[in-house]
Amino acid sequence: MSYKVGIPRALLYYQFSTLWRTFFHCLGAETVVSGDTNKLVLDLGTAKIVDEACLPVKIFFGHALRLARENLDYLFVPRMVSIEKKAFICPKTMGLPDMLEASKTPLPPLIKPTMNLVSSQRKIDAFLWETGHFFTADIRKIKRAWREALEQQQKEELQGYYRLWGKNGYNPDAAATRIEREDKLVILLLGHSYLLQDNFLNLNLLEKLKRADCHVITPEQIPSELQEDEVKDLPKRFFWTYGRILMGSARCFSKIPENKGVIILTSFGCGIDSFVDNMVMRYLHKAGIPYLNIILDEHTGEAGVDTRIEAFLDMIRWRRQMDEGNFSSYGPYMGNNERTVGISGAGCDCTPANN
Amino acid sequence: MKGLLEFLGLDVIVPPPTTKKTLSLGMQHGPEFACLPLKINIGNLIEARELGADTFIMAGGVGPCRFGLYAQLEKEILEDLGYKYECLVLEPPDKGIWQFIKRVKKVIGPVSWWKVIQGIRFAYHKTCLVDSLEKIVQEIRPREHAKGTADKIFNYSLHTIDQAKSMAELEEAYGLAKQKLLHIPRDETKEVLKIAIVGEIYTLLEPFASLEIEKKLGYLGAHVTRSIYLSGWINEHLFRGLFAPRHNREFVACAAPYLNHFVGGHGQESIGAGVAFSRQGYEGVVQIAPFTCMPEIVAHTIFSRVSEDNDIPVMTVYVDEQSGQEGINTRLEAYIDLLCQKRKAHAV
Repeated sequence: MSYKVGIPRALLYYQFSTLWRTFFHCLGAETVVSGDTNKLVLDLGTAKIVDEACLPVKIFFGHALRLARENLDYLFVPRMVSIEKKAFICPKTMGLPDMLEASKTPLPPLIKPTMNLVSSQRKIDAFLWETGHFFTADIRKIKRAWREALEQQQKEELQGYYRLWGKNGYNPDAAATRIEREDKLVILLLGHSYLLQDNFLNLNLLEKLKRADCHVITPEQIPSELQEDEVKDLPKRFFWTYGRILMGSARCFSKIPENKGVIILTSFGCGIDSFVDNMVMRYLHKAGIPYLNIILDEHTGEAGVDTRIEAFLDMIRWRRQMDEGNFSSYGPYMGNNERTVGISGAGCDCTPANN
Repeated sequence: MKGLLEFLGLDVIVPPPTTKKTLSLGMQHGPEFACLPLKINIGNLIEARELGADTFIMAGGVGPCRFGLYAQLEKEILEDLGYKYECLVLEPPDKGIWQFIKRVKKVIGPVSWWKVIQGIRFAYHKTCLVDSLEKIVQEIRPREHAKGTADKIFNYSLHTIDQAKSMAELEEAYGLAKQKLLHIPRDETKEVLKIAIVGEIYTLLEPFASLEIEKKLGYLGAHVTRSIYLSGWINEHLFRGLFAPRHNREFVACAAPYLNHFVGGHGQESIGAGVAFSRQGYEGVVQIAPFTCMPEIVAHTIFSRVSEDNDIPVMTVYVDEQSGQEGINTRLEAYIDLLCQKRKAHAV
């Protein structure tokens, strides 16, 4: 008989879906992933957690409680402390299983392994055993399953990178030429994976941008080595993985010579983003790249967001026209409002300040 | 901290006491969702700059609480505002106090190690004495006949203790203050509630940030104990338990099975302290945290279970830029009423 394991479609599931699913599959368990987020899921979660929790955690609760109604053997709620050396995910993901258990609802037995690689990669063994011993007592079988899962996960991540860079290494200029052929606006969409991939949460933003003729780049297309490289010279290293992802992607993106803008998605009350986004915005401001910060919460009205995105895209297009039609005959650096060609300087006048 | 640096011959400017103006300066320049301490901090720094400070000293951290990045973000914000500041960051767990002293020495030039050690002892002693006075005040507040006497004496003695330049002067100031406090006329027979305050360190220690909840509870007739005192914190985090046994270990042990993992900041300690105090016979727990504080939100979620299992009412107060007093007064009064009713019900 195979076990049925429920996985909530929320938070880090979006980043590790392939990994978890392959892993459980190789262990001989059947995975049940909750469906897409919708209003019901949100309401379910909101009712069971304190108001101050952030939106993604509320949605996580919604998914978990929905799965709890199904006939499952286990519910998989990993305690994700850290997935790389010297960096944490977020205090809330660290307390997730405990928060869920305090919610006073009947739950299937939880599989709540701790993933904590902050000091050493070897801690992964403990994680594997805590997860695997529910299904088999053979540690080799668990490790084999994990290797297989990692392989699948890496394959998928590579596919993401290829979409931006092509298969010949990570060269910003080459990437730019590839994009240029499409003659679209290049937008970097920054945000945590669970915001970017949950179309209910982000009000279908990706689709909207595509319809508006934009080439959207997401942090998943920028390899973590590049991100790490970019944040190395900061005065203090971020101790959050998402800090590295957002800041690193923004800095990497600024090297791709194309006309562009950045849209930053934040969920209301996100503690990490309150700092990281502020630093990213200060960086973009100095680099002269237009940016737009959208804060997501329980509101589901789309019109407000539509208007803001439209205005933002219009602004970038105008800037491009201005730059093309407004060449000084004395060369690009004179009589042109201190602007250089391509990457426009003095972005402050066009950038919506501090919203 | 001030004591230590002055002892080492630095010119120290302490930011003026936090006021509404400080907060509004911080709000204006800080990120919207940042926690309250950051905003107040920025306000403090701007005000200190106006008094001529050119270097700021701050603690750091390695996460996952946001506090570890305070100094960096503040420096960036202040630089964008055109203030030039040197910053001296004290990064704890990995390096501890020695690293910090080395950096301080770099700034002030040659000072003998002996003097440094003496300076540290002196400063630590100062905080210990202030904390022990504060504990007396907490005990007197609900019982004194003329409300506010203890606080008046305490504020005055803070000043005299601050002025003390040697151990002898310090002891004298402390002894005098203690005598005065113990002579306050009070009602010994009065029944007092015992309430524990837990939560995030800054909002616990800075009365302005917490809207003086501690004082208010005291006047409403409760003997209040905090889970964190400054001297305890210094002992745990800077001296790594050199002078006294570490208190927070106990709290952490009490947090199981509710919260089984460290979540940054004081989240786990808050839960543990709540459990520990309820076992010691306290009748209520008040949790104070800045709005959007991540570790405390985790703790808040779990407190509902703690409260049920230990039969202890828990009230959570989030503080933010909202500085209206009446809302909080009403809530505290209602909470005290509830505790009194509960006590009566038990007595019957």
